[in-house]
Amino acid sequence: MTSAELALRNVRKSFRDYAVYFMTLTFGICIFYVFNSIGSQQAVMDLSSSQASTMKMLDRLIGDFSLFISVILCFLIIYANGFLVKRRKKEFGLYLTLGMERRQVSRILVLETVFMGLISLAAGLLLGIALSQGMSLVTAALLGVKIDAFRFVFAFGTVAKTIVYFSAAFALTLFFNVLKVGRQQLIDLIYAGRRNETNRAPRPFLAALIFTLAVFCLAASYFMLLGDLLGGASLNIIIALGAAGTFLFFFALSGFLMQAARRKSLYLKNLNMFVLRQLSSKINTAYVSMTIVCLMLFISICTLSSGLGIARAVAAELRFSAPYDATLVMSATGESGEDYVNHAPVDILAAARDKGVDVSSFAGVSKAAVFYDAEGLVPPFTGRNGEKTLLYLLSLSDYNAALAMQGLPLLSLGANEYAVNFGATNADWSKILTQYADTGGSLTLGGRELRTNAALLRHHVLEVRTHLNLDMILVVPDDTVSGRQAKKEVLFINYPQSGLEYEQLCLGALSGFTVTTADGAELSGSVETRIQVNDYAANSTATIAYLAIYMGVVFLVASATVLAIGQLSEASDNCHRYSLLHKLGADDKMLNGALFTQILIYFGAPLLLALVHSVAGISAAGKIMTRIGGMNILGTSILAALFIILIYGGYFLATYWSGRNMIKTAYDSRRR
Amino acid sequence: MATILQAKNMEKYYGNKNNLTKALDGISFSVEAGEFLGVMGASGSGKTTLLNCVSTIDSLTAGQILIDDRDITTMNQKMLARFRREKLGFIFQDFNLLDTLTAFENIALALTILKKPTKTIESRVSEVAAVLGITDVLDKYPYQMSGGQRQRVASARAIVTQPALILADEPTGALDSKSARALLESFQNLVRTRGATILMVTHDAFSASYCHRIIFIRDGRLFQELVRGSESRREFFDKIIEVVSLLGGDGNDLR
Ligand SMILES: Nc1ncnc2c1ncn2[C@@H]1O[C@H](COP(=O)(O)OP(=O)(O)O)[C@@H](O)[C@H]1O
Ligand SMILES: [Mg+2]
Repeated sequence: MTSAELALRNVRKSFRDYAVYFMTLTFGICIFYVFNSIGSQQAVMDLSSSQASTMKMLDRLIGDFSLFISVILCFLIIYANGFLVKRRKKEFGLYLTLGMERRQVSRILVLETVFMGLISLAAGLLLGIALSQGMSLVTAALLGVKIDAFRFVFAFGTVAKTIVYFSAAFALTLFFNVLKVGRQQLIDLIYAGRRNETNRAPRPFLAALIFTLAVFCLAASYFMLLGDLLGGASLNIIIALGAAGTFLFFFALSGFLMQAARRKSLYLKNLNMFVLRQLSSKINTAYVSMTIVCLMLFISICTLSSGLGIARAVAAELRFSAPYDATLVMSATGESGEDYVNHAPVDILAAARDKGVDVSSFAGVSKAAVFYDAEGLVPPFTGRNGEKTLLYLLSLSDYNAALAMQGLPLLSLGANEYAVNFGATNADWSKILTQYADTGGSLTLGGRELRTNAALLRHHVLEVRTHLNLDMILVVPDDTVSGRQAKKEVLFINYPQSGLEYEQLCLGALSGFTVTTADGAELSGSVETRIQVNDYAANSTATIAYLAIYMGVVFLVASATVLAIGQLSEASDNCHRYSLLHKLGADDKMLNGALFTQILIYFGAPLLLALVHSVAGISAAGKIMTRIGGMNILGTSILAALFIILIYGGYFLATYWSGRNMIKTAYDSRRR
Repeated sequence: MATILQAKNMEKYYGNKNNLTKALDGISFSVEAGEFLGVMGASGSGKTTLLNCVSTIDSLTAGQILIDDRDITTMNQKMLARFRREKLGFIFQDFNLLDTLTAFENIALALTILKKPTKTIESRVSEVAAVLGITDVLDKYPYQMSGGQRQRVASARAIVTQPALILADEPTGALDSKSARALLESFQNLVRTRGATILMVTHDAFSASYCHRIIFIRDGRLFQELVRGSESRREFFDKIIEVVSLLGGDGNDLR
């Protein structure tokens, strides 16, 4: 038999035994293709220019991101393949004792990996191409565009990219695993794997101590994440504490497991003793892999549930910050590039008329406002995370004009009062501002003292903007601003009625609009429209959602694979053990029960802790999100749960089924 | 004396019409309670097949096997599993201990599969361990024991449930002569003091000489039967050698 034939036979055999390995390779390749082909999907869609540019950006982002993902997938393949090789050490040992040369054995290994690679590459690409057709529909829905007619999308470049990336991964796999077998002593190959790991599980007292420490670490990291320390503690410390806590938790758990072995009433019942020993014989590998799996699951759950939640919240926030159809903001740039340089105030409507721009052609209502410099009037405000506000003065009549255009109730001020308007509404800022207002916030302007109070705090958005607005606006009586320098001029525009033709007229008339002030400053304008903001919102939702799902699914597959492979790699030892139990008279129900318990513990323990982690993680994300508008956790959590049930649960069942089949074949082979 | 095992016209065929192997070709025999029966034969004569069929691990093509008056050839899988754990004890040539379990746990396993109350388990394990002289290795793992100790642990596992019939396939096959002798003596001891019934397959005349009675098989058929009666072990051994040479062909290759 030639090496190629031998390798092919082994692959066929592995196909039966190692469904999980192929599942992982195929999944990995499929996901990689689907996400990397997003750029090509726009061919079937009718996209606006901003949507098209978002797609380009998304494509690039995913491209960069894929580098990171491919590193993870590569590790996964090496890990999975390593187990495959480990399991077959004995077979390789046999080839060597039969006088085969190391080179020949290596060749078999190379050929096997290549065959498996080719098959899974083909399967993964086919699956990916099929799935990406459905993905076009999802993309279209997220971007809010229609697909005119169904067209088949085949991303040739992505196919090539996938092949290149995964060939590299297979090459690395070969490099590591062939090397591994090449270095092994014959004796190690033949007697591979029939020995218990030296037990490093801690003794009961120590385990209790470690458990306390673990709980402490986890509690500290949750507390920092959620509690008052949020502003102060760096994310790195929280992550380090969380990871350490997780490791210690499973380490202590292994100790408790061993202690359970002393409780005779539990231990000497049914096959409990056997199951416990199954776990303890691999205890060192178990707690390390459970830690890794738990952390990967945590990342996966968090990205799947809060990723989408964040995307939605961002979208909601952005829609919120489009109170008019459009705004034009005029400002001067300083010589060294600084923004919002002080200048003599200008009436933009008048300036536009002078330049021959007919604002009424696209604006049903329009109002110009001057935002004056407020430097030194009040102390600078700083947020919890060190973010600085931009201070402006706005006259009461300009402010009320803006409110009127938004259909909001107007503000009235006494002669010695001023109001504070700040767009963001979260609890932290409210606290800072209320505290400030309660002190009276005395300032001197136009030769008199002005004071404010908590009843004069407002939270309106005054401009159309695609980013978080930290403008702090002091609204003052009209007569107090005369003679001050302006920072920016803003024109609020509402179209006569909604319609793309006004949008086009507006953009055509105002883009590139410039004004020279009385003191010689060059003001340049920038227009932002509600339509742009809404597009941008939809696009960022899509972008974040894609990245979240991509990362979430990859981590989910990775964690499930690590577990599944770990379990199945013990299959040959397990077959031997379970068929002995069968001979001793344990029936199918007992055997399947023992196997199920064993696999359930491996899959369940990390998931449970990861869920606890995730509650903390998601709450923290939710807390951050409430600052900019809040997010709906429920819907996205259901989605995350669905993914977990589908992928993680699928792997669990696949592992149990193939384990059961392997065992059954082992003990049924004698009966016919 | 009660008959524990009654095998009638056992037939086991492998392969198809063109290429038929008659591993068992109409063998009938019986085992009485408290008997130590040996089964001998050349390699390929059907010894292991016979034992596997009796032990319900393999099924017959035709024939009947009654153990404790129950016909095992008509039982389903679940009944067979139950039958095995309640009525049979196994001793294998390669010990077949679980490498993840200590000696104590390996022996206790047979009782936990039987769902015996946990309180009684410890005392029963230490009792059989004392009988087989393995009390001081109870906390060791299989890889920390010698071959002889492992086989005695396996024997302890087989007898701890007080089975109606103990089945042993070449139990001394992997042991040196000193350990083999010790094991066979403990078998003798079990039969004498605890009334155990043992069916032992062996290719080794020395091991066989410890039996009360020996059946010889050739090509799947019963060839001859020897009863020790009141003879000394030495005399019995010589008789066995005689029959073995009669078995013919390569009489020395008796595996
Ligand atoms: N699973 C099987 N398939 C086909 N033939 C078998 C099988 N098992 C045993 N045999 C054949 O049945 C005969 C008896 O085998 P066995 O009972 O193992 O002999 P022994 O244990 O006496 O050496 C041999 O000819 C063997 O080749
Ligand atoms: Mg045999």
